[in-house]
Amino acid sequence: MKSKSRTLMMQRLALHAALTPLAIIWLFPLWMMFVFSTMPDYGIFSPDIVLWPSTNFVENFKNLQADTNFLRAMFISITVAVIYTVLSVMLTSMAGWALARYRFAGRSMVIAIILGTITLPFAVVVIPQFIMVAREFKLANTWVALIVPPLFNSLGVLFMRQSFSMMPTELFDAARVEGVKEWRIFLHIALPLARPTMAALSIILFLASWNNYLWPLLINSRPGMMTAPVALGTLIGLTKVSWGGIMAGAVLLTAPILFVFIFLQRHFISGIAAGAIK
Amino acid sequence: MAGLTLTNVIKRFGAYEVVHGANLEIADGEFVVFVGPSGCGKSTLLRMIAGLEDVSEGTIEIGGIAVNDVEPSERRIAMVFQSYALYPHMTVRRNLSFGLQMNGNPKEDTERRVAHAANILQINELMDRRPGQLSGGQRQRFAIGRAIVREPQVFLFDEPLSNLDAELRVQMRVEISRLHKQLGTTMIYVTHDQTEAMTLADKIVVLRAGRIEQVGAPLELYDNPANQFVAGFVGSPKMNFLKARIEGKGASGVTVSLRADPRVKLTLPVSSAVAAGSQVMLGVRPEHFVNAGAGDTDLTVRIDVAEHLGHTSYVYATISDEPLIIERPESRHGGDSDSLTIGLSAARCFLFDAEGSRLR
Amino acid sequence: MPLRNRIAYAFLAPYLLIFATFWLWPIINSFLISFQNTRVNPWRFSLTVNWGRLVADPAFYNALYNTLIILVIQVPVMIALATVMAVLLNSPLLKARPLYRFAFFAPVVVGEVAYAAVFRLMFSIDFGIINKLIGSVGLPPVSWFDNGTAAMALVIIAVTWRWAGYNAIIILAGLQSIPGDVYEAATLDRVGKVQQFFHITLPLLKPIILFCVVLSVIGTMQLFTEPFLITNRGGPGGATETLGLLLYRQGFTSLNFGYASAIAYTIAALAVAISLLNLFIGREAK
Repeated sequence: MKSKSRTLMMQRLALHAALTPLAIIWLFPLWMMFVFSTMPDYGIFSPDIVLWPSTNFVENFKNLQADTNFLRAMFISITVAVIYTVLSVMLTSMAGWALARYRFAGRSMVIAIILGTITLPFAVVVIPQFIMVAREFKLANTWVALIVPPLFNSLGVLFMRQSFSMMPTELFDAARVEGVKEWRIFLHIALPLARPTMAALSIILFLASWNNYLWPLLINSRPGMMTAPVALGTLIGLTKVSWGGIMAGAVLLTAPILFVFIFLQRHFISGIAAGAIK
Repeated sequence: MAGLTLTNVIKRFGAYEVVHGANLEIADGEFVVFVGPSGCGKSTLLRMIAGLEDVSEGTIEIGGIAVNDVEPSERRIAMVFQSYALYPHMTVRRNLSFGLQMNGNPKEDTERRVAHAANILQINELMDRRPGQLSGGQRQRFAIGRAIVREPQVFLFDEPLSNLDAELRVQMRVEISRLHKQLGTTMIYVTHDQTEAMTLADKIVVLRAGRIEQVGAPLELYDNPANQFVAGFVGSPKMNFLKARIEGKGASGVTVSLRADPRVKLTLPVSSAVAAGSQVMLGVRPEHFVNAGAGDTDLTVRIDVAEHLGHTSYVYATISDEPLIIERPESRHGGDSDSLTIGLSAARCFLFDAEGSRLR
Repeated sequence: MPLRNRIAYAFLAPYLLIFATFWLWPIINSFLISFQNTRVNPWRFSLTVNWGRLVADPAFYNALYNTLIILVIQVPVMIALATVMAVLLNSPLLKARPLYRFAFFAPVVVGEVAYAAVFRLMFSIDFGIINKLIGSVGLPPVSWFDNGTAAMALVIIAVTWRWAGYNAIIILAGLQSIPGDVYEAATLDRVGKVQQFFHITLPLLKPIILFCVVLSVIGTMQLFTEPFLITNRGGPGGATETLGLLLYRQGFTSLNFGYASAIAYTIAALAVAISLLNLFIGREAK
């Protein structure tokens, strides 16, 4: 018979031997993003292999700001993401509540339409959306264009609906017997209880808005109204551009969200995993 | 305070009828228990009284006023739920005052009512905790407290004790009984537990498959069940049912013989007409067997297991594959022999026809 | 109760309005636009102008071919990798679990533009760190942006890096919902760890993995940012042009909305068809 502790040790060793190189490869691009952002351009394009950060970050950022008004773009991105998240959580939780807790005519049809179209790619609506917003509503290069159309996202509705329908019915019946108005039941009982779900949803929505690229690229391409990813994207592929600056921008786009991710990993993960629970 | 009248109340879910025309009169201040196996419609009936389910047909009156179209909150009722339904994110004090506060009740009055309820239930020191920090029994007490605060005309209880362990269940049962004496309010209580029904009720309503089988005081149902279902449902352990056959009819009643042992014959006073040779059920409660020779006839059964509880013993036995339970208050042994001869007294036996209707 | 009905609609209405305007109607409208000749003013209805062009357009077939190649190679590799990551991360023997989790999950929160920029720089031909590393072990440098095959490989590598962790999160959630006593029972039955993986874990994970495959198929069908930014608008010479990129060029460079809509509907139809096929195969194999 094999010794139990010895086998366990071997297994543990093999496990770490497999995972460690993979983890290093996976972290490498992020590390290099950081390293590049601290290196002067001549350093990035020198023949030496440099894997350690230098001290040129501020200089790089100044170059970036000279290439495109990145601070303005960051401001737009942050504002849009915050407003979008708040609005979207409001809309989707109200809709999720209605679909979870009331039986009304048309309910199953609404659910069927949401479920039936949720997996369609965004590509299928991008053209008409663009025509509608840019040409018919004449809203290109506005805040509304950045915030309102992406609110159609229906994953949040299903997520909130699931959360509300898992709450015990008796809780709401008790309030009804006590004469609490429906909107107050929603506000004072349902929403507070859905707080963890709302947190996870908010994080996912914020992330989606923060990183959104295609739609802002199409609809807000005027320099003063670009979001940060769009502004940064315009620099990639230009010849006379500071790559150290681009990397500084990439770090500024990534670092805050990565920082939040470290502390709220649980919510991120439950938000992403929730996509799989239906 | 108010009584209730249910007139021909029907409930359908889609095409599926779950309550088939219930008629019931509940007097002011009465403690009424709806009892029956799960799926019998007792909870649905209660939820219709609460206004949480619509009434498909018929009327429900509370205090002489039809309430079919009255919102739950306007019916002057309070309800205690099986899962307690305390709002988990509020302190229990807030739980108690929430409903009144949301309806604009004056602050002082709300506080007075909450303090009053806390006094009645002796829950003062726990008022600032959250439901999650309380034991099941404490939560139950607060759920009742929340009902008391509403000062309702009618209290509704939906299986309130089924989430508690056996010991707490007995304790809470006594408290609910005490509460009823103290407040004197009409109470309607749903349970599937016949012991709760027997101990709490002024009046028991036995339901089966959406129909009211019998309404009566606890001992009335015990002594005088309307049919085989009620006879089997009321009393613990359950009444024994032995297959039997009508042998003939005499001046003193009909004579039946057990199918398991045709030598066992018993003559019972039956008024209704029964044909000789028809199949019937002889019902006898475990506690109503007598010693061999002391009754009108004897029968011999095979003992499977005997449970000795100290003050009494239950003998689980069979008589040619028909199971029966016999209570033997005096016996503390019986392990030696694997058969037992026991007496039957005709005065304590029931008789039911093949449809379960009571013959005697 | 009609009152409750009205309340329900009130809760639902704001969202439904947005949903109908910016999702439902565009889905329908897209189909209608695909039958419009949008290169004349005003637009004119034509059954064949776009769809007829589509079936004869070599650029479309090139984009379709590239997209399917990426799909066929990238999705299986990534899902397999994600499964391995999830299973290893789930092992009770693992030390420093948060560190490993961070390594694999961090790319999930990195924006497309930021990571495209880094990949572009890392893989640059003369001074990219990857070619320097390849050179340091004595191999010739790879022309990541000039060689069509290498450029495709680069897109696949980039997408895999970005999305493997995302799928691993979903698969890990699935793994954690498998009750531990199943494995204890198997261990007592002397079933080895590897056999446990193939005979217990994989079958129980199948629905989750299928879900990941479907998500990835939908994602790949509309792949846009990576070939747009990393391989410089589908370069070299269209070697990495995907359907998503073709849609973008037709719609927003040539402003030929009708043709772009036909491409969009093709993307959606293929995504749905391939997803259904997957689900069908998944059910058959049961």
